[in-house]
Amino acid sequence: MFLHILKYELKNGLRNKDLIIWLILFPIVLGTFFKIAFGSIYEKHDKFSSIPVAIVEVKENPAFRQVIEGMESSEQPFLKASFVDKDKAEKLLENGDVEGIIFLEDKLRLTVKEKDIQETMLKFFIEQYSVRESIAMEAVKEAPEKAQEVIAVLTEETAASCREIPLTQGNPDVYIQYFYNLIAMVAMFGCITGMHITMQNQANLSPHGARNNCSPVPKSLNILACITGSIIMQTVCMVCCVTFLAFVLKVDFGDRLWLVYPSAILGGITGVSFGFFLGSVNRLSEKAKTAVLMSVTMFLLFCSGLMAGNMKGIISEKLPWFNNVNPAAVISDCFYCLNLYENYDRYLTKIATMCGISVIFIVLGFITSRRKKYASI
Amino acid sequence: MTDTVVKINDLVKRYGDLIALDHFDLEIKQGEIFGLLGPNGSGKTTTINCLLSLLSFDKGRIEIFGREMTPVSYDIKKDIGIIMQNVAVFDELSVYENIDYFCGLYIKDKEKRRQYVDEAIKFVGLEDFTKFHPKKLSGGLLRRLNIACGIAHKPKLIILDEPTVAVDPQSRNRILEGIQDLNRNGATIIYTSHYMEEVEQICTRIAIMDKGKKAAEGTKDELKRMIKNTETITIEILDLPDKVRKQIASLDHIYDTGFENGKLTVYCSGGKHNLLRVLDVLQKNELSFGRVYTELPTLNDVFLEITGTALRDKED
Repeated sequence: MFLHILKYELKNGLRNKDLIIWLILFPIVLGTFFKIAFGSIYEKHDKFSSIPVAIVEVKENPAFRQVIEGMESSEQPFLKASFVDKDKAEKLLENGDVEGIIFLEDKLRLTVKEKDIQETMLKFFIEQYSVRESIAMEAVKEAPEKAQEVIAVLTEETAASCREIPLTQGNPDVYIQYFYNLIAMVAMFGCITGMHITMQNQANLSPHGARNNCSPVPKSLNILACITGSIIMQTVCMVCCVTFLAFVLKVDFGDRLWLVYPSAILGGITGVSFGFFLGSVNRLSEKAKTAVLMSVTMFLLFCSGLMAGNMKGIISEKLPWFNNVNPAAVISDCFYCLNLYENYDRYLTKIATMCGISVIFIVLGFITSRRKKYASI
Repeated sequence: MTDTVVKINDLVKRYGDLIALDHFDLEIKQGEIFGLLGPNGSGKTTTINCLLSLLSFDKGRIEIFGREMTPVSYDIKKDIGIIMQNVAVFDELSVYENIDYFCGLYIKDKEKRRQYVDEAIKFVGLEDFTKFHPKKLSGGLLRRLNIACGIAHKPKLIILDEPTVAVDPQSRNRILEGIQDLNRNGATIIYTSHYMEEVEQICTRIAIMDKGKKAAEGTKDELKRMIKNTETITIEILDLPDKVRKQIASLDHIYDTGFENGKLTVYCSGGKHNLLRVLDVLQKNELSFGRVYTELPTLNDVFLEITGTALRDKED
């Protein structure tokens, strides 16, 4: 009996045009739109670019020149240096063509136009070089014949200390958040199939519900088969969505794509359970239920940052607990943690939260749906 | 083994202050086509919903096949077929799949189910539409599909709650004939409607419901015998002086007359040759008249007399 109901639940769901539109086509269109809108920004922020700097040799420093030349020949040079005179250097700085001027005097001196991350990096570079240079010069004094060798080591160490170290194995681009939210949105749209379970099993909500209640099939079995069908349906939609984003739009989900799939599927289950719960707790008509469900879902998605990227941050400041109970935020956070954090602690916390929310919604939905008789139909 | 299929004792159902069923009793025997006749809001559907244990009720007891009906009476439910007032089919499934789905809730054996589904399709005449989806079907065909979904598992008790609402006359006749066929095949039928002609046509016993109460019960002949009216004579006449009308009204077995829009209506109670006696009065007064017709009482007359209101007036 379970398999009979499940078979038709799947047939019914897979042929439902509304579900196909909202759960498969809509994310594809929105994902493509996101890619077009944020793609160029993403590319711009994608790679570390060398810092343009002017170098003024007030006092000759062949070792420094050699280190710079050595660094520039590397695959991803830290600096893009121009050896110029003081006037030219100041003009370049004024025009914004360089981020700073390094004056080679007795000691290295840095001049910048404004204090920012580039200034910090240049300052750090000069400090690193100065420390290493003094050690190297000591070594050259003791063994002048190894001067070239010492400069090579100096170049190597300076370059090594000034390279881009990724914070994560994932993609730290801020715009990727929109794609996480998109997956969260598809997961949350699982509430549509979740609500359908209630409609199909409550005699006071639909003729199907009345007919099912008149059949010799226990209601709990009917609901269980419907939930299973909805979860399978939602799983198909989640897999389609992630596959499209990862392999067609080539959105970079980092090195843990294999974990994105189960996370998305679990998110889908959370969405289904949310719809099942919300559909079960009120006695509104199907249209009214759909309106309430979509409004609540869109509100939760808004709070998770789907429409405004910084919304989650604002809520995290004002109502930090809300992000932990908002299913949409929990789902998108799960992807975020998976992508950005090296260890799995936060990710597993989010997974556990999703499981908890799903179980609570399903149990509450079951409790409110198992009413045997109705006061009115 | 009892031949009583349905027994309702002292059923009371309230919606707040409104009493939907007021100490309602009913007994339906095996093999009957039992009609529940009444206007909208008289309590027909509420009775059906209570019978099916969908609705809770305030007082009373319901037995089906000699056992108390509860929401978990699955052994009773497997022998009941229900055709709801609203069509309950899935738009995404074909005609065959819809019938197979609902039949599958009752019949586990696949081979047997296939045979039952085919028989149900044949029974409602949807052989040419098995791959059609409900949205492609006309209103009449959709109603037939709805019926097939309810009867495919060959239930012993079939409940049809206003199955012909918004159905064209041709489909309606087909549905009514189908119900009689089901009954001939051994099923007991409960049929609710506010169309008295339908109930009169197919039901072997009828209960008239009004304001949640059973106003009368019996076969159609028994019901008609309960009322005063035995014959209604209508005569088209251009002018009818009051003097002549009084003469007609004073005849034996005539209890009321009416004259409106050139039509004289004469209500008779018992007696013989009433028409001849009325026409004799008209001829003696040298009044010419047009068409003359006489009608036996209908269920509407029964309803009118028992409840004081015409069934159609209630609908309005």
